[in-house]
Amino acid sequence: MALVLETVSVSLNGAVLIRPFSLSVAAGEVVTVMGPSGSGKSALLSLIAGDLTSPFTSSGGVRLDSEDISRLRPEQRRIGRLFQDDLLFPHLSVGENLLFGMPRGDRTKRLAAMEAALASAGLSGFSKRPPHTLSGGQRARAALMRTLVAEPRATLLDEPFNTLDAELRQSIRSFVFDHLKSRAIPCLMVTHDRADAPEGGRILKLRNGEVSDD
Amino acid sequence: MTMKLTRRGFTSLVAMLPVTASLANLAQADGAWSEIEAKAKGQTVYFNAWAGSEQINAYIAWAATELRNRHGLTLEHVKITDTAEVVRRVRDEVKSGKTDGSVDLVWINGENFRAMKQEGLLFGPFAEDLPNFALVDTDGKPTTRVDFAESTEGLESPWGMAQLTFFGDGAKLGTPPSSMLELLAFATANPGRVTYPAPPDFHGTTFVKQALIETMADRSLLGVSINRDQFTAAAAPMFSFLDALHPHLWREGKQFPPSQAQVKQSLADGELLMALTFNPNEPANLVASGELPATTIAWQHAAGTIGNTHFVAIPINSQAREAAQLTANFLLSPEAQARKADLKIWGDPTVLDMAKLDADQKALFTAQADPGSVTVPAPAIPEPHGSWVPLIEAAWLERYGA
Amino acid sequence: MRQQIGALPLLALWALPLVAALAAAISSGIDPAAWFAIFAHPQLWPGLLLSLFTGFFSTALALLSALIIAAGFYRSALWNKLQGAAAAGMALPHLAFATGFGFLIMPSGFLTRLLVGGDQPPQWVTAQDPYGLSLLAALALKEIPFLFAMIWSQLTQGDMAASLDGQWRSARSLGHGAGSIWLRVIQPQILSRLLWPLVIVFSYGASVVDMALVIGPTQPPPLAVVVWHDLNDAQTAINARGLAGSIFLTMILVGVTVLAAFGTKLVSMLARGFLIAGPSSRSAPIILATVNFVIVVAAFVAVIVLLTVMSLVPRWPYPALWPSVFSFNAWGLLIASSSALWLSLGLGLVTSAVALGLVVLWYETQPPRYDRWLLGLAALSLALPQLLLASGQYRLLLGFGLTGGLPGLFVVHLAPVLAYVAVVLTKPYRSLDPRYIAVAASLSATPLRRWWAIKLPLLKAPLLTAAAVGFSVSVVQYVPAQLAAAGRYETLPMAAVTLSSGGNRALSAAFTMALAMPPLLAFLFAALAGRPRWR
Repeated sequence: MALVLETVSVSLNGAVLIRPFSLSVAAGEVVTVMGPSGSGKSALLSLIAGDLTSPFTSSGGVRLDSEDISRLRPEQRRIGRLFQDDLLFPHLSVGENLLFGMPRGDRTKRLAAMEAALASAGLSGFSKRPPHTLSGGQRARAALMRTLVAEPRATLLDEPFNTLDAELRQSIRSFVFDHLKSRAIPCLMVTHDRADAPEGGRILKLRNGEVSDD
Repeated sequence: MTMKLTRRGFTSLVAMLPVTASLANLAQADGAWSEIEAKAKGQTVYFNAWAGSEQINAYIAWAATELRNRHGLTLEHVKITDTAEVVRRVRDEVKSGKTDGSVDLVWINGENFRAMKQEGLLFGPFAEDLPNFALVDTDGKPTTRVDFAESTEGLESPWGMAQLTFFGDGAKLGTPPSSMLELLAFATANPGRVTYPAPPDFHGTTFVKQALIETMADRSLLGVSINRDQFTAAAAPMFSFLDALHPHLWREGKQFPPSQAQVKQSLADGELLMALTFNPNEPANLVASGELPATTIAWQHAAGTIGNTHFVAIPINSQAREAAQLTANFLLSPEAQARKADLKIWGDPTVLDMAKLDADQKALFTAQADPGSVTVPAPAIPEPHGSWVPLIEAAWLERYGA
Repeated sequence: MRQQIGALPLLALWALPLVAALAAAISSGIDPAAWFAIFAHPQLWPGLLLSLFTGFFSTALALLSALIIAAGFYRSALWNKLQGAAAAGMALPHLAFATGFGFLIMPSGFLTRLLVGGDQPPQWVTAQDPYGLSLLAALALKEIPFLFAMIWSQLTQGDMAASLDGQWRSARSLGHGAGSIWLRVIQPQILSRLLWPLVIVFSYGASVVDMALVIGPTQPPPLAVVVWHDLNDAQTAINARGLAGSIFLTMILVGVTVLAAFGTKLVSMLARGFLIAGPSSRSAPIILATVNFVIVVAAFVAVIVLLTVMSLVPRWPYPALWPSVFSFNAWGLLIASSSALWLSLGLGLVTSAVALGLVVLWYETQPPRYDRWLLGLAALSLALPQLLLASGQYRLLLGFGLTGGLPGLFVVHLAPVLAYVAVVLTKPYRSLDPRYIAVAASLSATPLRRWWAIKLPLLKAPLLTAAAVGFSVSVVQYVPAQLAAAGRYETLPMAAVTLSSGGNRALSAAFTMALAMPPLLAFLFAALAGRPRWR
């Protein structure tokens, strides 16, 4: 499955923020968009996720393979997102956070899938813990697993490693990319730090409203 | 213009003692009075009086102006909702040793008076030493000296008269019921359009007392203290009357309005056909203020309705006793009484004896029949002995309260 | 140790008098004869049942409706405007609402005139029904704005709002629709913070007297009315019975509150499965919310319009849809009571300012774990039947010779004002991210400057809301004020109550509307001035 943007553009209060451009992110590929703050990086992700609100306006199409999703509501798009903060729901335990986004179905199977996902993130035995009792790295991994068990068709990363320290950053980074790659999920990441991008991955620059190859 | 002065009256052992002690002081020397007048100058009287009527408030304001001009004293109207709260305040103040009391004069009668008298919270006797007390109709209006079967003993000075009176829109009523039995017939013919406030509301208790008086075989029991067994026997006809009446009342007698004010308002709204009051001139006042139509009529039961007197009294811890006495005396003056009786001012019947007034004083009373006045006054029946009231209220609550 | 001294002003001016008043009231309530008498009262148990029924279900309905409205309009364009509507609804005194609502629904009321007509009103059992349903409805409607305002400020102000914004987007990306996110993410988190407001609403509803007298059942009336009659009696024995009754009612209310707290725990445990059932596309309940909103707004608008008309007519008999006679008499009398108005305004301003100062001093000097003592005492003082507390306060003032003076009036006004301010302000104040202050400190700002330049602007909205709530609470104080004033001072509610004790509806309407004005202005001011500059 590929994430395709067709001549999308974003305006802020009528002034053009991002000029029309097109992009295709292949299954398992991570495309990095770099740009200074205020350049519209986050607005671009909101456009794809479907929760861009006024004073922003947008045009252009968003497709997953051939399916046009630009008319769908955010929750119908099945596009996973990771933010700077883990945003684990504080009133739910770690395991419950994962179940929250997991598609409905048989209870036992869902619980097993949850435990398996936590185990694959090195979080076995953490399912009953409240999120605030976890370390920053553990929370980041739990947040990714929460996104993945929701079975997204694409993912958007918004400076996801910003709040992590350098050592943790490396391990989380490869943890995230490995998982995305193994599941063949297309991923668009925005950041201002070149070091966040996967090695050999495609990097775009967003500057003065223009999106261009690095 | 309801007056929620009391809920019940009592007679105590004290009341049965000879109460003529103060008669000896009748011929009080002028010197003593002028001394009181001199001391009163500059004093401030905090007059605690029910203030639910703008007419009454305006009348008290007029009295304050007159007293300042004539005697150089200040009358402050402390506007209250319920006289019982003043009784509690004085009691608490006296108990805590506060000698500069917050109350100098209080508008009072019935249960509240009895409580203050029995607990020694009142200054006096003073009332029958007031120069104007000589004009009071103590013979024709015996309730000016016996308050709900409790002897006043000069501890309160009469101010005005009250008598149970019914009223409604003459255009809708036809001939108003002039007895409890006629009321039953009226309620049967007009189901759901008659009611009375639930006791222990003062007006509600009075209605039940009226029913008691009209249904009793031997009325001589009313004047004496009774016990529960006597009551059960004596009140049986009354309760069978109420049992017969209630199914025809508002909400089939299962709910009762909490206050006379609501009965009055429901009459004005058209939900009820008649209301009741203790001030015979209230219906005329309500017509004058536009709250009731000009076709309003007021009546009393032909054989008589319960009547009583309301008074002013001075608490024991008042710091302005002299000025308070001067005020009580002024309120008894023909001028003040005539103004009070004037429907356009207030419309509260006088306690004075017309026969004791001279021609000029009589001329002050310009009685006229305004729309809503009682046209055929009925005799006033004294309140039953106080021991009846708690028994009536408890039995009523037991039967109809829940 | 030096820190702890910061609690002293609050203890001296508020907590001590309150506890002493309680002790005074309760110690005089230890009278076996009085307890025997109250348990022999035929209206005790049916009255208690009515009190609990109306209190509990009015609270539940108000909460449900407020939640539905919030669920439907959260994050919509209307959201920010709803605060103003809630403020207007809160400003209208309970008694005013009951008066207007009563005239709307009673058999000779406006609705039957509109829909039924005829010469005589129908004999329906609408207002003052024996089950207390009309009282329940009035209470529920009247409390919706307050509960909504509490929900609104949780969702809109402070750190919680920012965190919920992220959680919202996160949940959508996980496949949840707006309605599902509300039920599974937002509501569980705000409900736990609504505990104290709910306790207050419940105990108010279960112990209300003035509204019950207007539209409540009468035979039997709710227990609070039974108690009120007793406490108002001239006889000490009956007063003692009333005191015992009010202590009994209080104990029952505390018990029910504790039970309800356990009940919520149980429900939230049972609801766990629902929270984690997985994504659902359930959308926001916009239609349901709109219906709720329209009903509430229509009720308030009808009440306010009817009150306005009622204040201008001496008489408005059935079946006239529009009165034929108008008079400004009631408003004239109101204007004549302007000294009472000024005293009420002055007391409101002073007490709300002092209360704000005292609780802020408390927050700044006491660890958050002590807050539950502050909140517990506040909730208790608000939950107690007013007459009970007021009689204790009065005894206390009397002992110190403070009756009939402004200091006494100040103390009795401060008690409920501070309690409300604490209930409204504690959560937002304590949930301010401490890192802001840490940052300011690292920038060498003095403690005073940290408070003045960082906390004050960040907490401007909740502070102003709390002040407005406190002000509006002060302005409507009646029972304790009337006792403390000992007839030497007259505040606006005293003037209103004494003048309307004659049953003149125009006067009642005019004065209760006048009571609504100062709080309304306060809430509007808070809403306007409290708008953050950075948004």
